[in-house]
Formats: sequence, structure tokens, C-alpha cells
Amino acid sequence: MRTLRRFLKRLLFWTNTQRDEERWQAEMEEHLALQTEENLRAGLSPVEARRQAVLKFGAVEAMRESYREERGLPFMDHLLQDTRYALRRLRSAPAFTVTTVLILALGIGSITSIFTLAHAVLLKSLAVANPAELYRLGKETHCCYWGGYSQEKEFSLVSYDLYKYFRDHTKGFAELTAFSASELLLGVRRSDRPETAQSYPGEFVSGNYFATFGIRAYAGRMLTARDEQANAAPVAVMSYRLWQQRYGSDPSIIGANFNLNDRPFTVVGITPPGFFGDTLRNSPPDFFLPLATEGLENGDIKKPDLHWLHLIGRIRPGATPSSIEAQMRVELKQWLRSHWGEMGANDRTRFPKQTLFLSPGGAGITSLREQYEHWLQILLMVSGFVLLIICANLANLMMVRGLERRRQISVSVALGARASRLVRQALTESLLLSLLGGAAGLLIAWACTRLILHFTFSSESGWADVPISASPSLPVLLFAFATALLTGITFGIAPAWMATRVDPIEALRGAGRSTTRANSLPRKTLVVFQAALSLVLLSASGLLTAVLHHLESQDFGFDQERRTVVYIDPRLAGYRPAQLTPLYGQIHGRIASIPGVSAVALCIYSPQSDNNWVADVWVDGRPAPGPGDDVDASWERVTGGYFDVIGNPILRGRGITEQDTEASRRVAVVNEAFARKFFKGEDPIGKHFGRFEMGMSRSYEIVGVAKDARYLTFNLEKPISPFFFLPEAQHDVYPTAEQTEGDLGSHYLQNIVIVTRPGASLPFSQVRQAMASINMNLPIISIRTLQEQVAGQFRPQRLIARLTSFFGILSLVVASIGLYGVTAYNAGRRTNEIGVRMALGATRSHVIAFVLRGAFLLIISGLIIGLPLTLAAGKFLGHQLYGMNPYNPAVTFVAVVTLGLSALAASLLPAFRASRIAPLEALRVE
Amino acid sequence: MKEKKNVLQGTLALMVLKTLDVLGPLHGYGIARRIEQISGDLLTVNQGTLYPVLLKLEQEGSITSEWGASENNRKARFYLLTRSGRKQLQAEARNWEQTAVIMRRFFAVKAEDLP
Repeated sequence: MRTLRRFLKRLLFWTNTQRDEERWQAEMEEHLALQTEENLRAGLSPVEARRQAVLKFGAVEAMRESYREERGLPFMDHLLQDTRYALRRLRSAPAFTVTTVLILALGIGSITSIFTLAHAVLLKSLAVANPAELYRLGKETHCCYWGGYSQEKEFSLVSYDLYKYFRDHTKGFAELTAFSASELLLGVRRSDRPETAQSYPGEFVSGNYFATFGIRAYAGRMLTARDEQANAAPVAVMSYRLWQQRYGSDPSIIGANFNLNDRPFTVVGITPPGFFGDTLRNSPPDFFLPLATEGLENGDIKKPDLHWLHLIGRIRPGATPSSIEAQMRVELKQWLRSHWGEMGANDRTRFPKQTLFLSPGGAGITSLREQYEHWLQILLMVSGFVLLIICANLANLMMVRGLERRRQISVSVALGARASRLVRQALTESLLLSLLGGAAGLLIAWACTRLILHFTFSSESGWADVPISASPSLPVLLFAFATALLTGITFGIAPAWMATRVDPIEALRGAGRSTTRANSLPRKTLVVFQAALSLVLLSASGLLTAVLHHLESQDFGFDQERRTVVYIDPRLAGYRPAQLTPLYGQIHGRIASIPGVSAVALCIYSPQSDNNWVADVWVDGRPAPGPGDDVDASWERVTGGYFDVIGNPILRGRGITEQDTEASRRVAVVNEAFARKFFKGEDPIGKHFGRFEMGMSRSYEIVGVAKDARYLTFNLEKPISPFFFLPEAQHDVYPTAEQTEGDLGSHYLQNIVIVTRPGASLPFSQVRQAMASINMNLPIISIRTLQEQVAGQFRPQRLIARLTSFFGILSLVVASIGLYGVTAYNAGRRTNEIGVRMALGATRSHVIAFVLRGAFLLIISGLIIGLPLTLAAGKFLGHQLYGMNPYNPAVTFVAVVTLGLSALAASLLPAFRASRIAPLEALRVE
Repeated sequence: MKEKKNVLQGTLALMVLKTLDVLGPLHGYGIARRIEQISGDLLTVNQGTLYPVLLKLEQEGSITSEWGASENNRKARFYLLTRSGRKQLQAEARNWEQTAVIMRRFFAVKAEDLP
């Protein structure tokens, strides 16, 4: 109580310093006057009386000091004083201040920028109510469809039937919602306006989707359980973003009729701003449709064995996730048993192993997290290293500054300055610098984050961007502040401590006559440290650049030049299967007639387009594969002439031609990997195989072998996987009508590949015109060159390689400056010695060698420490090297040479300067 | 704000309080003289050290101060004890006496007194 009162008083006193100063002065004068009078009365002379009074009072300045300390808040006083003093010092050295703040801003800015991303991708929850109550099905994220009654490792995708079973039986969940795992595209047109259809991302969700997430409508209403009923009128919920950006927040949108994939829907509500659905991803959905409306389109909802839904539930208060998980495992087995009759032999064998897991679902479906986690870790690590190097360098600089003021400090010490005060003073300066750097760093972080977001995620025009904001949030601000503080302490503490090691005697000695040599050791250590870290960064960036080069320059097996890919989806314009082949004929005709176009073909997905269809392959004349056998192959459908258009050479036999029609025999072309996997050593031409089941094993006759082409955007470190191509014009006939109908989906081709003549250019507007002349309702989702498409796949790798290279170069420059500083300083201190050596007959080249030897001793020590670290760094990069050996001698060699050369450049200048010392002058310095 | 645990300062504060208790309102010089007189040469402190102590006591609310006129009509700052200061003095005095008693007993003990 007493202490608090005193503190408040002090705070008050502190604010009116001036008046107190007067009071002290007045009281002291009064005291001295009274004492002097008394001394006079005792018979002393006036002068002596005054002198005695002052003596008795004590050291006035010391008293004043302790009076002051009692009076106000000395801590605040000192802080202000130190800050003022540090500001004055920084102002007097503007070049130093600006450079330091800039370097710090770069260091703090880059790590803050990476933290902004890491925070958004790895730590943040969905924009929903109480995300901690949400749990999702599955340990890992799986995409997007899974057929049958068994799943590998865990049951993480469910069918609509299984969803309803879980929803109705699991009491631990207050709400359990399901939504489609695949990304859905919709061709969107407002029915009552004459506009061309545009494509937007959408999502099928269960009726309680918004109730589960606790999301209330911004306008209109959200979906309800009633919308999920099969006979309900088709309704849709629109995103706030689309409503605002495309329709200018027009209130008449609510209740308006829309054509979605050429089917009528009524928009009933707008989601609140900021809500981006259940998954952090590029282009989040703009339309939420009830699951029931999926039945209008594909009928996936009617198939109990087609698993295409993710589950997220909100647990009831008091329920525990582990008990819900246990209950759901039982329910899964019950549901599977109820479908025992429909299960195949393989599913029945796998039945005992079927299980499921729940995991925290507050962050939603975390595919982005899984994809970028390691990248972000690498970048955080790298930017942390850069900051460390910067700290080491600045510590060096500050020490030099400290040395400059040695005399000043020794005078202060001699006059009785306390060590703690000196440390505080020096620290204040570094903290001031780092906080300034941090503030400037926020700006750099913002710009850098925007740049990274732009390069990593760029959505099609008109679609939503990835919901990550570059502007600093509170956690980011705190992070930047803490980093700045820590940085300031890290690079300031050593120089500050050095400041207290000053011997007052030193002040009395002449300049350059210091007897202590120990001071250069910490500075040298810091240079060694910087060299070691720079080597690590340089070799890491070298490895990542080599990987990028390796990825980009690999033999893709197809031609990228002069090729353009147009993305469409006939579903978006409501095409029925029977209309498809004629549509492709039309597209072919119209586009081929554009001047400069030499050939056109269509396929489900072009190479490197983020798509992959997989089927089990059943070879004719072989025993049926068992449950554990790997008989996977990727496949797709193409129109005639496709292989020439994509530039994929046919090695044996022939490609798919216009002559492969519904009327001719069913054919397939396979790639080399397919031939190797299923026909080891045999000639595959003329052999038969099929999909799905043994009865279908004579479906296709192999008529050609194509060169391996890299279609998949993953497994880049592995050899190209087996692939087979089927003609679009031929339809498979299966034992059941349902299966036959199901396969019709593979006839919706989504890529048009166009080859232009050498030297000709293809204006995209002409392509758009040609497409519009076929059907106004068929939206072009995007057009890009095949080169862009391939390059786009390596965007994260390129970004990472560039960022680490940038960090590597930054660290190299900073470390070189550090080496230059130390070398120049040491050479300067040894002017006398050099002068004596030269006087004794040392030549200039001797002197240069002598100075360089000192510098390279440091660099070589750095290399010796750094080399094992580079190996560790290579190991840390691990999977991101796509199978490349992390111990790459060429990369290490280049890194060592680069470091060596910049070290040479940094130390040559001081060496030359030292060699120009005139011996006589050097001795005169003495 | 580190409080200096200084015995001298602590006792000085107590002496100030006692002086004001006995003599009533007094200026700094008066207090200093008084302490000097009573303690004789036992306590040879610089007189100036008194002022920080006075300031601290005032901040703690044990004393207050106001400007007044000294004997020879000079402007001087007079200090007087507050009610809380008087309470503090009583408490501290009791403490001191107890401490003194304990210390005296301790020093009076001889080896043969111990069982």
C-alpha cells in the first residue's frame, strides 16, 4: 500500500520535474544559509563560515543525484535520457543508422512475412463460431472420390448414405455436416438477364452446414435441413464476395433465379463477409448448393459405395472426441455389415481392418497446411538464419562503435558511472535501432507477403483469392515486435557488455596504445559464425535452385512450344452425354479454322494440369489380382490426333485416330511404363485389358505404345507412372446399366489443346469468339499456353528457390561487409606493426598476403564449421529435393567458391590499403 | 525501483520522525541540528543526505511539508508529522525496542551461561 502510494506520488512528481528542482535548490540554499549564520556566530570569517557549511552539507552533486533518485521515477528518467542520448548518437551517424535500419528491416521483414503466411496456413482457424468444438473425420486429407466398401488406412471419405447413418446415430455431435471433397465448377448465369455464363467455384453441402459452423446469413437465409430433401426446390447460397464484386450488393439477387450448369436455382441468401467455407484454399466456393441438388446432376448421392464427402461435426458440451470416435468405429462396422451383400470379395477381406479417426476440425480441411507445412518450415528456418547473420554483423558494427567511444566510456567510468547504466545505455541504442528496423520491417513484410501470395496462389480472374490477408494482424504485430526486441538484445548485449570492460586507466593512455588485444576475439568469432551460416544458406539455395532446374528441364515427353490449353466443362452448359461427340466435332472444326492453327484435339486433362484419373487394370488371360496387388494405372480419354497435337511420340503401333469410332473395335494406347508394369518383356501390341472387373478384361485392344509423358503433378521424384489412353468416341458397355451410365462422366472432356503453326500467334480473343459461336452458355474457364501451365506447377518450388537465393545473397553481402569491417579494423590497428615490417624489408605483396591470411583464416574456420551444417541442412530439405541427393558436391563447391570470392573481394581493399602504408609515416603514428 | 536497504537510511528516517514528534514542525536545518545534537558525534553524516530521506517520507505520507518563515524570516520549508507518520513511528519504535532487547540479551550471553 505504502509502496503503491509512493509510486503514484513519484509518478506525479516525475511529471513536474521543474518545480522539484527549484524546491531542492531552495532548501539547500536555506540550509547552507542557516549553517553559515551559525558558523558566523561561532566566530568564523564569512568566507570560512560558508566553506565549512558547504563541507558539512556534503557533496552537493551527489546529494542532488540521490535526491533526484528519490524524487521521480529514475527508471523512466534514465530510459528517456538514454533514448534521447541514443537518438542523438544515431542522428550524428546517419549513414550507419540508415544502413542498419534497412538491413534490420530486411531481416525482420522477411521473417515476419513468412510468419504471416505460417500463421494463416498453419495456425489459424476457420472463420466460424467456436472452432475448438469442431472435429473432422480423418487423420489425413484425402481427395476426392473413393469407391467400394473399404478404404486404405482409414475411412476418411463417406458416401451420402454413410453420412446419414453417422448423422442419425452419433449422439455426441450436436451437428454433423457433410460437404463435397472435390472442387466443383459451376457455369453461372442470371436467368432473367441476358448475360453469358461465367464459371465460379461451388460446393455441395448438407442442409445443416451453416448451422454446424454457426454461420448466420448476411442477407436472406442460409440452407436448412428442408433444402436437403430430395423433392425440395433447388436453392443456392451465394458468397458475400461474389454478391459484392459481381452484383454490386444488389438486394434483388436474394430470391433471383439463376442458371447453374443450365439448371434453375433460386438464390436464397448471402454468406457473411469473411466466411470462406470449410477449407483454406485458393478460390473458395462462391455458391453453396444443397447435397440433394447433386442428384439432379450426377447421382453420386444415390450410390452408397461412392465416397465423396468430408465430415465435420460440432461436439455437444460434455462429449469427448475419443468416445465419439469409438462409437463411430462401431457404427462404421454396422453400416458396412448392412451392405455385406453388395460387397466384393476384396472389400470383405479388408473388412476387419476398416477403421476411422477423428481429428480437431477447427481449421477445417487442411490440405493447404499439409501441402505447405514443410515449405514454410524451411522458409522460417532460412529467414531465421538470415536474421542471425544480421545480428552477428550488427553486433560487430556496434562493437566497433563501442571501441570508438572507449575513451569516452573510460572517462565516464572514472567519474563513477555505474556498469549497469553503461550497459543500459548501449542496449538502448541497439533496441532503438531494432525497433526502428522492426517498424520498417512491417512494411517490407506486408509487401513481401503480397508478393508471395501473388506468386503462389493466383486465381482465375473473377474468382476469389486465397483468404489470407497480407496486412499484419495482432499476432503478426506481436511477433514482429518480439522479434525486433530479441534481435536488438541479441546484437546489442555483447557490445554493451564490452563497454563495461573498459579500464578507466585506458582513458589516460594515448590512442592506439591499448594493451588489451582480447577485444578482437569476439569480433572474429562473429565473422566465423557469419561465414558458416552463409555457407549453409548458399548451399541450401544452391540445392533448391538445382532441384528447380532439374524439375523444369526434365524430359516431359510432350512438346510445350506453340501449344495452348483451353479449359471448358460441357457440364457447365448442361450438355447431355449424347450431345458430346458432336460438340467436340464442332469445337474441332471452329478452332481449326482459326488462321494459324495447325491442329486441335480434346482430352479430359492435359499433362501437368493437376488432374489424375486412376483405374484398376485387369489384363486378359491373367489371374484376378488380389486385394493387396497394385494394378493401378492412370488413364484418360482423347479425341483423334491427340498424340500429334500434344507432341507425345508414338514408339510402336499407332495413336488414336478419327477412325476409332463407336462402330470400330475398342482400342487403347498405353505408355512405356504401362507396358513395363503389365507386360514385362512381352510385346503389348494386340493384347487386351479392361477396367473394373475380370469380366471386362477384353474391353480394349492395345494398338500403340506412346513415349512416357509426365502427366501427374506429384510423385515428381519417381519414374513416370503407367498410363493408358482411350478414344472419346468409344463408349464402354458394362453388365449393369448403372455402371455404363457412370462411365459416361469420362466423356466430358475438359481440355482443348491447340497447336499453332511455327511463327503464327494465337490471339485468345479469337478462341473465345469461336467458342461463343458454338454456345453462349459454355463458359471458357481459362486459356493458357502449355508452357505457362507447366511452369505454373513449379511455382512454389521456384518461389522457394528464389527466396532462399535472395536470402543467401543477402547473407553473403552482410557477411562480406562484416569481414571487410574486421579486416580493415585489424589492419588499421596494426599500422605500426606493418610499418615496422616494411621498414625491415617486407614487400607490398608480403603485406597483402599477411592481411589476406588473417581474413582467410576466419573464412576457412567458417567453412570448417559450416560444412557439416550444410549436410544437416540438406537433410532437413529432405523430400523437397525430389529425390536429389542432398550431398551435392557441385553445389557445395560452388557455395564454397562463392563465399571465398566474396571474402577475397571484401579483404582485398583493406589489404591494398595496408600495403600502401609508408613505413616512416606508420612509425610516426606511434 | 530498488529500495536501498540501508540501515543508516532507515534509522535516519526514524530519527526524523521522532524529532518531529518531539519538537513539532521544523525545517530541514533544524532537524539536522537536532539529530546532530542528540547523537553527538556518533552519527557523522553529511547533512545533505537528510533531504532525500525527507522527500521519501513525504512521498510515503508519513510527513507533510509547507513553506513558512524561519527564525530569521527567511523562506523555509517546514516539515510536520502526519497521523500515519505517528502510527509508523510507534510501530517502528516498538520494533526497535524489541530488536534492541534481543540484541542486548544476545551480547550478554557468555559461554558458561549456556547449558
